Amino acid sequence: MSNDGKQIPLSRLEVGKSGKIVRVSAPPNVRRRLLEMGLVPGENIFVQGLAPLGDPVEYVVRGTHLSLRRKDAANIIVEVNADGS
Amino acid sequence: MAERTLRVALAGNPNAGKSTIFNVLTGSHQHVGNWPGKTVEKKEGFFEYRGLRVEMVDLPGTYSLSAYSPEEQIAQEYITEEHPDVVVNVIDASNFERNLYLTTQLLEIGVPLILVLNVWDVAQQLGYKIDVEKLSQLLGVPVLTAIASKGVGIAELKEALYRAAEHREEIRPREGLVKYEHALERAVRQLTEAIEQLPDLEGYRPRWLAVKLLEGDKHAERVISAHPQGAEVLALREKLKARLKHTYDDEIDIAFADGRYAFVRGLSRHVLTMPHRPPTTLSDRIDRIVTNRVLGIPLFLFLMYIVFNLVQTVSAPFMDWIDELFSGPITAWTLAALSAGHAPAWLVSLIADGIIAGVGSILVFVPGLMVMFFALAFLEDSGYLARAAFLMDKAMSFLGLNGRAFIPMILGFGCNVPAVYATRTIENRAARILTGILIPFMSCSARLPVYVVFGLALFGAHAGIVIWSLYLIGIVIASIAGWVLSHLVFTEVQKSVFVLELPHYRMPTLMTLWLHTWEHTSEFIRKAGTVILGISLLLWMLLNLPWGVKNPQQSYFGKVSSAIAPIYKPAGFGTWQAAGALVSGFVAKEVVISTMAQVYLSEPTSTAQAPAQLHPLEDLKQIVVNFGKATIDAAKAFLNVLTPGVNLFPKHGAEVSETGLSRTLSRAFTPLSAFAFLVYVLLYTPCVATVAAQAQEYGWRWALFSIALSLTTAWIAATGVYQIGLLLGFH
Repeated sequence: MSNDGKQIPLSRLEVGKSGKIVRVSAPPNVRRRLLEMGLVPGENIFVQGLAPLGDPVEYVVRGTHLSLRRKDAANIIVEVNADGS
Repeated sequence: MAERTLRVALAGNPNAGKSTIFNVLTGSHQHVGNWPGKTVEKKEGFFEYRGLRVEMVDLPGTYSLSAYSPEEQIAQEYITEEHPDVVVNVIDASNFERNLYLTTQLLEIGVPLILVLNVWDVAQQLGYKIDVEKLSQLLGVPVLTAIASKGVGIAELKEALYRAAEHREEIRPREGLVKYEHALERAVRQLTEAIEQLPDLEGYRPRWLAVKLLEGDKHAERVISAHPQGAEVLALREKLKARLKHTYDDEIDIAFADGRYAFVRGLSRHVLTMPHRPPTTLSDRIDRIVTNRVLGIPLFLFLMYIVFNLVQTVSAPFMDWIDELFSGPITAWTLAALSAGHAPAWLVSLIADGIIAGVGSILVFVPGLMVMFFALAFLEDSGYLARAAFLMDKAMSFLGLNGRAFIPMILGFGCNVPAVYATRTIENRAARILTGILIPFMSCSARLPVYVVFGLALFGAHAGIVIWSLYLIGIVIASIAGWVLSHLVFTEVQKSVFVLELPHYRMPTLMTLWLHTWEHTSEFIRKAGTVILGISLLLWMLLNLPWGVKNPQQSYFGKVSSAIAPIYKPAGFGTWQAAGALVSGFVAKEVVISTMAQVYLSEPTSTAQAPAQLHPLEDLKQIVVNFGKATIDAAKAFLNVLTPGVNLFPKHGAEVSETGLSRTLSRAFTPLSAFAFLVYVLLYTPCVATVAAQAQEYGWRWALFSIALSLTTAWIAATGVYQIGLLLGFH
């Protein structure tokens, strides 16, 4: 896959793929909330699936299932994992 | 009697099972209120164990502690200012690392601490191995395991609290347990040293204050600036922050969060082993169906249909029973007692038409509210409510709301009162208030009789379309108002982020569901009930004063109505009768019809007369028999709800048609003015009970805002309908 190791916004990570969080660049309030929910640089994040209407998206971080809207997920930059799982 | 007391605060993430532990420990010895000046729920309770009285406060569930959201602020201020003897930190063991983030902050505050690893069974199913003893050693505080929903681990928790009462200092976490990255740690230490120079810190840990100051926490700033020598510390803080900016840019908050998670990860390495590949649990399998792209939404709508019907139909027989009880035996007995005591006529009317009718109108909401609170607690505690929000979020985002607003809005079609209470499940306060203000635009079932009577009187065969269009108008207006308000007033909603945790499914316990139902229902009776009764009495006075008026037009009510009437001229219904019906419709929207019957057909306003004879024993028997009948009817309705499409117990008998009123209405209104009137009835002020609920949930300011908004919207819409209708040649 050509995407391996590339840095992309989390919102563009496909279902079934995982990545490593590189950066959380949102306004302070939003960033605080994301951080305390476990979305910290260095963590692995897995895309579990989409809601039936296409948004929000379900992610798994350290065993916790979280739902994020695409526009919020766009604030998180991830490095796509090579093994694709 | 207990001689000693231990003050305990329960802290933990939402979904960690805090409430279950609180309920199991305190049982019926609990009290629900609000935190002073806040619309956040405060639960207090106590229990006794081996002569020790343990007083507990259930703090709001939070993911972190700060002065950021009202919930976090309450939790942080309570722990640091009220100095509880022990904090019990309830942790969802199946979500170990994320839950420990809050724990790091409790360790920093330095309050005596006990950790409870709850939901231990789910953690085991996930294959987590947690070394409890090691964790306890590393943190220097007791660590227990529990499955609170099954009562497992509760005895051990009581024992641990008992021991804590004796040796409180031994379970106080060491200072400096959580350390930060090099540059940050240096700044924290430097600031800590400066704070240590301040005399009399009222129990605040200098290091905690230093960390919080660097994080920009308002609470810590307030503590320091209140101090005589605080200014120097604040100046040093600014200097350190400027220096840190070189290293971290404007990401000091990330550096702190990172430090805490690094501490958590360090702990995990020592105490937690997770399987490489997590096993597929029952919860995962349920989720595959429930959040399925094809099945998810139909399944949700089906569940909503059941909940809506449960609230409506199962409670209906009990509502009728309460209604009959108050209008029948209770009124009769009271009247008999009053006439035996030769009470004056005005007193008889006040008690019968004012007080008894008022109390009846409060209690009539109780069955529906109980069913709603129970159903909602079940959905919430089982974990499904979070999925519902996940499924419907996109649909609601167009209104500037989030997925959690969907269920309250749907409940609004039944009755706005439980719907307003249901907004408690919305975490974001601004989103919660906005939802609560839009709910009254959902046409509740009390408005339907008004539509039906007018529809049959003026629209004949087209009544169905007219009624349907009213529901639609309500939804359209709510959408417009939602969009406008979220862009103008509740801009916070647009800027906030909607992160939703999807917890593992679990089976709620009956006791927790029942306590939840009972607490909230009794809270409604106490708080909203007072407001409703007050307004009912006010309306009674308007209708009956000056005492002895024969014609309602001469009463204060008639005078007020006549004064208001001209406002409605542009909308086509500027008569005192219509205005009067609207005024009394504030009590409950269906009252619009009975008031119209009174003022158009000049039916007597008071029916208070003592019965010729009393049969107390027979009455009592009848009350019990009727309650039994209501229970059977409710059970039948319940079965009917569970088998949609098939009516197992068809209803007999038709609705009573109000022909006298119909004829009068068809003379007093034209189809166009009637439609404008109905649009007005749909949109104008929420009823007293809804306003009382709004005031209780969001404060009076927003309740009044809701009244003003809906009155304005209703007038504009009704006038628009009438004037445009006239232009188009309708009449």
